[in-house]
Amino acid sequence: MKKIMVILTMLVAAGLLINFSAPKNQQKTVKHPAVDFSQSCVECHTEVTPDIVKEWKGSKHGEMNFGCYMCHGDGQVEFYPKPGTQRCISCHPEYAFDASKTKASNCFDCHQGHTLKFHKIDR
Amino acid sequence: MSISRREFLKVSAAATAASTIGVNFLPGMQSKVFADGINWHKSVCRFCGVGCGVMIGEKNGKVVAVKGDAKNTINKGHLCVKGFYLNKIVYAKSRLLHPMIKKNGKFERVSWDEALDFVANKFNAIRKQYGPDALAFYGSGQAETEETYIANKLFKGAIGTNNMEGNPRLCMASAVGGYLTSFGKDEPAGTYADIEKAELFLLIGSNTAEAHPILFERIMRHKAKNPSVKIIIIDPRKTPTDQVADLHLFPKPGWDLAILHAMARILIKEGYADEEFIKKHVNFRDNKKKLTYEEYKQFVEQYTPEKAAQISGVEADKIVKAARMFGQAKTAMSMWTMGLNQRTRGVWANNLVTNLHLLTGKIGVPGSDSFSLTGQPNACGGVREGGGLCHLLPAHRLVKNPKHRAEVAKVWGVPVKNIQPKPGKHTIAMFEALNKGEIKGIYIMCTNPAQSLPNASKYWKGLKEQFVVVAESFFPTATTEYADVVLPAAFWSEKEGVYGCTERRSQYMEQVIKPQGEARWDAFILRDLAIKMGFKKYFEKYKTAEDIWSEYISLTKGTDMDLSGAPYSRLKKLRGITWPVPSVDHPGTYKRYTKGDPIFDALPAEKKKGRRMYFYGKPDGKAIVWARPPKGPEEPTDAEYPLALSTGRVLEHWHTMTMTGTVPELVRAVPVAYVEINPQDAKKMGIENKDQVIVETRRGKLKIEARVIDRPEPGTIFIPWHWEKWMANILTIDAFDPGSKEPEYKVCAARIRKA
Repeated sequence: MKKIMVILTMLVAAGLLINFSAPKNQQKTVKHPAVDFSQSCVECHTEVTPDIVKEWKGSKHGEMNFGCYMCHGDGQVEFYPKPGTQRCISCHPEYAFDASKTKASNCFDCHQGHTLKFHKIDR
Repeated sequence: MSISRREFLKVSAAATAASTIGVNFLPGMQSKVFADGINWHKSVCRFCGVGCGVMIGEKNGKVVAVKGDAKNTINKGHLCVKGFYLNKIVYAKSRLLHPMIKKNGKFERVSWDEALDFVANKFNAIRKQYGPDALAFYGSGQAETEETYIANKLFKGAIGTNNMEGNPRLCMASAVGGYLTSFGKDEPAGTYADIEKAELFLLIGSNTAEAHPILFERIMRHKAKNPSVKIIIIDPRKTPTDQVADLHLFPKPGWDLAILHAMARILIKEGYADEEFIKKHVNFRDNKKKLTYEEYKQFVEQYTPEKAAQISGVEADKIVKAARMFGQAKTAMSMWTMGLNQRTRGVWANNLVTNLHLLTGKIGVPGSDSFSLTGQPNACGGVREGGGLCHLLPAHRLVKNPKHRAEVAKVWGVPVKNIQPKPGKHTIAMFEALNKGEIKGIYIMCTNPAQSLPNASKYWKGLKEQFVVVAESFFPTATTEYADVVLPAAFWSEKEGVYGCTERRSQYMEQVIKPQGEARWDAFILRDLAIKMGFKKYFEKYKTAEDIWSEYISLTKGTDMDLSGAPYSRLKKLRGITWPVPSVDHPGTYKRYTKGDPIFDALPAEKKKGRRMYFYGKPDGKAIVWARPPKGPEEPTDAEYPLALSTGRVLEHWHTMTMTGTVPELVRAVPVAYVEINPQDAKKMGIENKDQVIVETRRGKLKIEARVIDRPEPGTIFIPWHWEKWMANILTIDAFDPGSKEPEYKVCAARIRKA
């Protein structure tokens, strides 16, 4: 019982941590690690996050070669670890979507961030 | 107490949801996704020739956002990576904000009056001492139609020189030559609407995915919905476009003409030719004389797949397969761009693609067209249609035609004798003449020839020695370095005007904000310069952009590109309209030379009898299938320079990076230039990925990073041409097509070694 309570507390705490780690006003202040910026995002991330790059490559964005920077910024001047819907809607204004009719508050509530699969599942 | 899997998921989901709240908007998404109080204005993308609709978000006199225009039929709201960042470019630190005159080798800020007085006096002095042909204008396929129109009138109609060119000479001139010689009139017969109706695409000399991303997306979506749609690529290099290809033919750079003849031979021999269409709609010619169909068949008979394979380096069976795929498809759309145009026989290459359509009747019906893709947003509208080249006058008119000169002089209100009957100097000849001192003063508008000319360093001499005026939105550029005067030009969103894109569609762009600094609209800079040069009576009437557009469309009335049904009042409401559009109640034209084209519809019945198309640019209404001999590149590879060098674009950058180089995200995406080299070649030369190498041609050498990748075929290398620091054009060749005068950027001989 005690063990279960500890796990539950940890989960909730983790949730709160995530919540506080990415509030709106902190989005732009979160810094990308200082790396060799003469490399492109994809070049480096192919090594450090190969699974994410693979997911992206198989997505519509990957097919169009629309790179990491479109959603996440350049990493130096602007960096969005958790990009918002505003960046999506600039290119996808045709998706008329009234969030008041759903519980979703963000494109990525339903679309997986890198595969872009709807409901985050392989359909 | 225990926790179920369901509860576990619930807790996790709550945590995830919480993490996003505050980062993004809340219910009422559509209205709150952008900040309140943004006014949205309809416009057009500033980059390639596709013509995507964009909405400019303005708040308190500032451009704060850009989104795709969902109502625009071209992009249906989608944007590519460049258009997405247009709002950032408006406020780039490199915007030129004040007029400057170079004094003692340094630019000094001056007033507009001082700058224009200085230019006017200098131009008048040159004109007086050396005659009008000692002056020249070099414009751009990015300038608005109204801007090019005023420049055309100033130089051809007032100053009296036809030394009036624009950078579309470097990208689209061969396509113009191709359409004129095949159909008799410039620009495509069809529109983008053919994409969703095509069963087969032949993409030749086009990296559509990177150079025209939104059209590529339309092709990709169409194929995804209709898996039977086939795509053939003919290109010496593997590119991102390949991911949709069913068949890729890799010719040696510059050696593809024989493939097209071999395909034509197979189409005829295997019964794919539309004999009825040929009989009624087609004539045959070689470079000297008219041919019969039988004589044409004899001509192509020599181009067996094996012979074409020998010439081009493509396997014979792939050529046969490509021809059969083209023949078997009910509809086919060919698309090409610089890979065909930037060649010493670019016009011929264009003709030979169109041959395939004329032989099979795959033209003039939905889903079939030979469709040239344009590289700049208003190369078609402003320069091809507006007449911004040395042999042209507005609305597809020619300087050599006395009737055309009289028509234009009348509308311009200038003496007809002012317009010379002889074409002026084409782009390469113009910059040669600067080098020789024959041209002593040049006005360069919205383009960067010191970097974009082929064999660029050869032409720096003339730019350095002669009087150079550069009207630009950005500073410095490779060209402003040689300027005596720089004039700050209003940028996209700071001016109104019209862009005409690849599919004959003219679209109006609203002025949304005031120009940055003291920047002014190019058309009014030119108008005021004209007035200061003494041409007040010809130019004082232009008070608004609409004044200029209205005069221009009056010149299009009754021509093949009739825009008289597209005044500002109408264009402001529409997402553009495709000409000919002869009246304000005309819906625009989807297909030319056939039913629905108002010019075809108005033809006498006897001319159209039994025919579904009438190519009214030709005396008998018949298009021409050309028997052009195959020609390789001007500078083939040899023992000394064994590699074929090609240059081109990447998705994230555009032209000389004056715009994309100001966007951190795009710079990050492709931070440095590189030379692509095939792993086989790299191994032989001991070159490893990321090594610094020296690429050398007979014209120059460049130190650059090697990218060992299987994109180029063995024996070929590729450099993206955008960077001033790694200027690919010091390597390229300035040999040009004798017909179109378009240079052969796409192939020259090179060698490479480790630095």
